[in-house]
Amino acid sequence: MPRLETLSEVQRRTLEFFPCIEHDATPWVTPVKPLSQSKVALITSAGLHLRDDKPFNRDDPGGEFTYRVIPSDCNPADVIQSHFSIGFDHTGIYRDLNVTFPIDRLRELAERGAVGSLAENYYSFMGALRDPRRMIEETGPEVARRLQDEGVDVALLTPT
Amino acid sequence: MLARVFEEHGIATTTIAMVREHAEKVKPPRALFVPFFFGFALGKPDDAEYQSRVIEAALDLLQAPQGPVLTDFPDDDAAVPSGMPQASQVTVEPPPTERSAADEVTALRAFYERWVENHAGRTAVGLCAIPQRRFRGVVRFLEACAHGDAEADMTERPASVSRPQFIRYCADDLKAFYYEARMEQNPEADEDALHRWFWGNTAGGKLIAAVAAALNNTEDPNLRAIAYGLAR
Repeated sequence: MPRLETLSEVQRRTLEFFPCIEHDATPWVTPVKPLSQSKVALITSAGLHLRDDKPFNRDDPGGEFTYRVIPSDCNPADVIQSHFSIGFDHTGIYRDLNVTFPIDRLRELAERGAVGSLAENYYSFMGALRDPRRMIEETGPEVARRLQDEGVDVALLTPT
Repeated sequence: MLARVFEEHGIATTTIAMVREHAEKVKPPRALFVPFFFGFALGKPDDAEYQSRVIEAALDLLQAPQGPVLTDFPDDDAAVPSGMPQASQVTVEPPPTERSAADEVTALRAFYERWVENHAGRTAVGLCAIPQRRFRGVVRFLEACAHGDAEADMTERPASVSRPQFIRYCADDLKAFYYEARMEQNPEADEDALHRWFWGNTAGGKLIAAVAAALNNTEDPNLRAIAYGLAR
């Protein structure tokens, strides 16, 4: 994001008062393998999903806490976005999915051996939630367990 | 916040963060603050080399011995939009003739189809699940909404999608169609020019602003919430 001081008054105040959950301590995993031997997953809060999957839907009770599975070997043309927010510029992702969801870039990293392998599945959530508790307590841990089951070592997280 | 959950489950994470102040509060294990505007997490569309630099900077944080780590991506070569004009900030120029959004959709179709063809089938259009060749019908539906017709609907709307949400999907698809067609028609147009063209020079932009205004005139909080997401 441009630094807060460069934004409009409305957007700056919205962000300054956004109800983040604050923490003093941080969980920490020291990677045991080099990246070139690690299995990497891409996780996004950009509200993306496959074209034939269910779009994120504001009037589905609890729907904003759900997630979508995006197979890492999918055709990138099948990935679309149904994010609720109007506070971001859609032209970036209109031009190039990778500016939010670097699916092609990760394939390149794997091809040249910079990362060991790619996870079978990537996962997408809806970002900008004002109350993310159900994501932290329910769907986030569910995806974490799926990542564990799939042998993922490293997750790269991207917003929109 | 998800990064913390994953890390608690034994998965090392690295996060691209767009609001430094939020990352400072949430304290994800590893975060790369990027100075780009929302919608440009990796900086530059269609610039694989630049995007790779951002990803590699994020992945480099995995070598840190302890955390939390919050590092700034150097913004020496950002050249990405630093903001976005909202509809209300754009001066609306009436089209030279009384051109309708339906006529524009037909006129832009060839550009849109060329865009999709030139981008290996990639298109942001697809939320309302109505093929773009039938967008004149979507325009008629949105025009009825703009005129305050509370009964206006489309037979294509799935039962699981409410009418307000469907209005949003139709409007988002129509916007994406216009922008992608315009990027094909005028490849040099930057983000600011695209937004000013859409909101200021097209009947489609005026239509979506009118739908937002009509929804805002109702008492229904669901419609008003949708209006906020259409145009402001």
